[in-house]
Amino acid sequence: MSATVSSGSSGFSRTLKKNQGVFVVLALLVLLLIFGSVVSDRFRTSNNFLNILEQSTGLALVSLGQTLTILTGGIDLSVGSMISLLSTVTSGTINGDVSMVAPVVVGILLLGLVIGLVNGLLIIWLKVHPLIVTLGTGAVLQGIVLLYSLGPAGKVPRGFTFLAYGKVLGIPLGAIFVVVVFALVGAFLTYFRLGRYIFAVGDDDAGALLMGLPRAKVILTVYGFSGFCCAMAAIYLTARFGVGQPYTGLNYTLASITPVVVGGTLLSGGKGGVLGTLLGVYLISLLNNVLNFMDVSTHYQLIAQGLIVIAAVSIYVERRKKV
Amino acid sequence: MVDLSQTKSAEYAGPAPTLASRLAPYALPIFLILMIVVAGVISPAFLSANNISNMLLQAAPLGIVVIGQAFVIILRGLDLSVSSVMATSAVIATGFSGVNGDVIPILLVAVGIGVATGVVNGLLVTKRSVSPFLATLATMIVLQGFRFAYTQGAPSGNVPPLFRTLGSATWNGIPYNMMLLVVLAAVFWVLLAKTRFGREVYITGGNPTTARLLGINADRVTIIGYVISGGLAAIAGLVLSGYVGIVDNWVGRGFELDSIVAAVMGGISLAGGRGGIIGGLFGAAVLIVVFNAVLLFGLPVQFQIIIKGLVIVAAAAFYVRRSH
Repeated sequence: MSATVSSGSSGFSRTLKKNQGVFVVLALLVLLLIFGSVVSDRFRTSNNFLNILEQSTGLALVSLGQTLTILTGGIDLSVGSMISLLSTVTSGTINGDVSMVAPVVVGILLLGLVIGLVNGLLIIWLKVHPLIVTLGTGAVLQGIVLLYSLGPAGKVPRGFTFLAYGKVLGIPLGAIFVVVVFALVGAFLTYFRLGRYIFAVGDDDAGALLMGLPRAKVILTVYGFSGFCCAMAAIYLTARFGVGQPYTGLNYTLASITPVVVGGTLLSGGKGGVLGTLLGVYLISLLNNVLNFMDVSTHYQLIAQGLIVIAAVSIYVERRKKV
Repeated sequence: MVDLSQTKSAEYAGPAPTLASRLAPYALPIFLILMIVVAGVISPAFLSANNISNMLLQAAPLGIVVIGQAFVIILRGLDLSVSSVMATSAVIATGFSGVNGDVIPILLVAVGIGVATGVVNGLLVTKRSVSPFLATLATMIVLQGFRFAYTQGAPSGNVPPLFRTLGSATWNGIPYNMMLLVVLAAVFWVLLAKTRFGREVYITGGNPTTARLLGINADRVTIIGYVISGGLAAIAGLVLSGYVGIVDNWVGRGFELDSIVAAVMGGISLAGGRGGIIGGLFGAAVLIVVFNAVLLFGLPVQFQIIIKGLVIVAAAAFYVRRSH
């Protein structure tokens, strides 16, 4: 398998192949929209779509960081614990005090970044697969948050919830923020050298090292960023629920992987992108919304989600890992 | 077919062993004994017959899952669906009328579900080249959905008395479930270490391309590996349902990670082709001793999770160093 750091050469078939995830998810989105409109009148209302956007913000932010770790051929299984810890500490330290909001928010973002960097450092130093490292740090962080608080901690001032429920020109603040952040990261991946290296490391880790690419810098960047994304998601979720508790992030570890792979990013690394992930997030949210309108119980929604993952990964067919 | 006895020697011939590399395989048993001694000195209650019997009771279901996980990990995979299979088979255990006459049908249905899950996992991994993490994650979620739909979110009913005995009773202090673990471990140890199939597992996990060149049906071997894991997880679920007595939708939660942690601690490399069942079982024993010691020392239960996290990273780092 050649270690091509896909450069400028283009062509329609190449575009299609490179972005197959985006096209597949777009097609599924359109199908779901048509299907939903047939199922229910209320589905078509703009209110409903704004709702979907609002609800998908947390997942979108976590999945954004997860996309980058997966692009390098790694994975971050500590995101759930990070969100739980950061969100509990957010509401625990703000504790209703308006003057604490700004310092705590800055502090939490930094803390998320630092935890992510620790993940990256451990991966580099120990030479252990990211799956194991982040599984371990995730367990440690979950233990720490439970030592900090066994239940919901503190509270946030009323104004804080604006982060989750505020609107600009009728569009939820979080949804706008998500699109902007995704666009920035997408640009970073395409136009910055470090962004290109992320693909190179994921495509052929050993080869990238041989070519003298700064592998350590890439690893630190993606895991640090994943921690930062968890901090953003934690702050958003705390604002949304009004309080953080030690299990806020529980489901996000696995949930954050679903939109990434549905969006066409391969778990083996090197292929994919953030646009697919964003569409994947919308697809999952839309699917749950449509199933809700059909009065399908959450049990079957789970089955549908699992089947979508199976279908998606079967379409993309991961390349076999190099021997 | 190529004569595998030839390839075996080629596979295992390495540099001349040093003292450190001779001792390294025993690092975990030595560590376990040290831990037991230290725990016994700090808290004499640790070595009471009652506590030991209790630890054995808790270790058995984990041990059974670890055996299956060992096969899958040696084959370069991992199986996240085991916890979901366990919970499903536990729910099935109470899904009948709860008398001993139901034991056979329960066993058939539960193991059937485990085996079917294994087949789906194996097919996705081999025929569709889906990464094992994702394939077993997806089947885990789907199975969870089916289970919720089946129980409507609230399982009820009783576990047949026979399972209660198997899961929680002891004979002269030795739990029945531990006897079952020993039997299963012996059977699968022979399969993995002493048979042609076992050698095919190691070769396939060590290098799938080599396996194909040798005429081994790597796909078939891999699928069987996942089937073993699914089937054993189903049995572990039944044993665990007998231990807890009351079944909810989450029996076995955390076993997917604990079994992987135990296997990695036991020297089964996630890179495939290395390790064995006995190592994995020692890993499970270390986990159970750590969990027990944390409680016995009066530490907050949260330390169980923290220590588990530290231990898995440390163990993985240890084995990475060793293999270099």
